[in-house]
Amino acid sequence: MNATQAEALARYSHRAIDQDNIGLYEGWLAHELRLNKCADCGKWHEPARAICPSCWSMNVAPAPVSGRGTVYLAILLRQGREEEGVTYPYPVALIELEDQPGLRYTSTVIDAAWEDIKPGTPVKLDWTERNRAPFPVFRIDQTRINEVKS
Amino acid sequence: MSRNRIKDQIAIVGVSSLPRTRDGNRTARSLVAEACVQAIRDAGLKREDIDGIVSSAGPGHWLIVPPGVTEMTATLRLPNITYLNDGMGVVVSPLIDAMNAIFSGACETVLVYHYNYRTPFNSKLAAEDPFRRGFRGYDDYPAENVKNATAYTAWCARYMHENNVPREALGRVAINDRTNALRNPLAAMGSKPLTMEDYLNARMVRDPLTMFDMDLPVDAADAFILTTAERARDLPHTPVLISHAVQGLCETASDEDQLASLAHHGQDVVVRQLKQKGARGLADVNDTDIAMIYDGFTFISLSWYEKLGWCGPGEAGAFIEQNWNAQQNRLLLNGRIPVNTNGGMLSEGGTQGAGFVREAVVQLRGDAGERQVPDAKSVFLANGGFFYNSQAAVFRRDDS
Ligand SMILES: [Zn+2]
Repeated sequence: MNATQAEALARYSHRAIDQDNIGLYEGWLAHELRLNKCADCGKWHEPARAICPSCWSMNVAPAPVSGRGTVYLAILLRQGREEEGVTYPYPVALIELEDQPGLRYTSTVIDAAWEDIKPGTPVKLDWTERNRAPFPVFRIDQTRINEVKS
Repeated sequence: MSRNRIKDQIAIVGVSSLPRTRDGNRTARSLVAEACVQAIRDAGLKREDIDGIVSSAGPGHWLIVPPGVTEMTATLRLPNITYLNDGMGVVVSPLIDAMNAIFSGACETVLVYHYNYRTPFNSKLAAEDPFRRGFRGYDDYPAENVKNATAYTAWCARYMHENNVPREALGRVAINDRTNALRNPLAAMGSKPLTMEDYLNARMVRDPLTMFDMDLPVDAADAFILTTAERARDLPHTPVLISHAVQGLCETASDEDQLASLAHHGQDVVVRQLKQKGARGLADVNDTDIAMIYDGFTFISLSWYEKLGWCGPGEAGAFIEQNWNAQQNRLLLNGRIPVNTNGGMLSEGGTQGAGFVREAVVQLRGDAGERQVPDAKSVFLANGGFFYNSQAAVFRRDDS
């Protein structure tokens, strides 16, 4: 284990981290959203697997995505367990990333009214702090809001 | 037509369901043990006759308070077990396991049991119960997830974005269940009708779904005895034959957030098989007498109506409206076929479909009391959701 991996394990102690997905959390530390990508067929997948689900190559490694995407769907949690940085009602959004059709990442959209987190809304990656460690979130991308439709 | 060699070869000959409770003070072990003994006696059998045991307590089960099959064998001192398995939590899966074991000759008569147990995750009373303090519920996901229960809220949001479906359509699913539950003494919510006003004013749990859109956490146990159709004819009850029992996974399975779209998921895989096998009631709903349509979330029922081809994609809301019987305050498909006669999981209680199986058997035997559907010969069960538990079954009365 290298030093970054040790740091990821220590700082994201509440997450279920193993050898197959630790790259995601190393990325978080560096303010990069890194999803698994196949070096052979070039496809991304999420959540991180030890093998490329498309071509079965073992040659997969985390790589940063653009961070640009659109809301595919969103829900509003009215209740749930206590977590730092989570206050209810709390929006949870499935973000379709522009890096590959159908590649989605589940997160939240910050600084937005619930009514504005609609399918098709352009969003971009941003970072906040949770438990004194970087945490990826999305915010509405005002520059693209007139360009993209659902 | 693809082969279905097991068709009508296996029968359900014994059943038991314990009353569903929201404030029970018994262990899951106690509930299961009582249900198992009742089912064996209902079948007119003795412990020596049971040579297979299958539970829903397998590793995929999300309420981790097992009495698994070795423990239950010991509890009941079953002396002749030659087949055993802790199977998947949603009911058709353990039934299929038992059927295959009988059909292969690994055993002849199987005890299948299912239980649901409230956990601190899904019940406030359970959270306050010191006897349940060690129980986990779902896996410990962070808020930002659309897995398990949350997945249906999420995909319902997408469905409502893609289709013009009024909330009243979801409300009808809940009201239908409640109306039927009023005639089911086992039901947890069997004493008070539900109005559309109640539904529309209910508090949201996760927008767009309210507390009335999700099945009811209950303590419950169900047990079933399966054996060969041949042997069934020597036992006390009219045999209930299993004509079809299928399940299906789509390729993204339990990666709920990666499902390409609502156009294809596990329910499509199930329906494809039912079509190939020519399952009674699929092509023409009139060929069945009762429909059990999974309602772990109201939205799942809407999806089933569309996937079964009983209406077109996006048309489930209109379908429900067309088949609504205002006088009886419930669904009657084609003006005749009731849906979820037990009150479904929204009002009988959430049992991952086990309540539907018991209800189907009791109805086909003619033992359903005041909620009996006259001369019920065939029941169609569309069970489970989209991701890891899509399944279906068709039962028929032996003489039909
Ligand atoms: Zn690949």
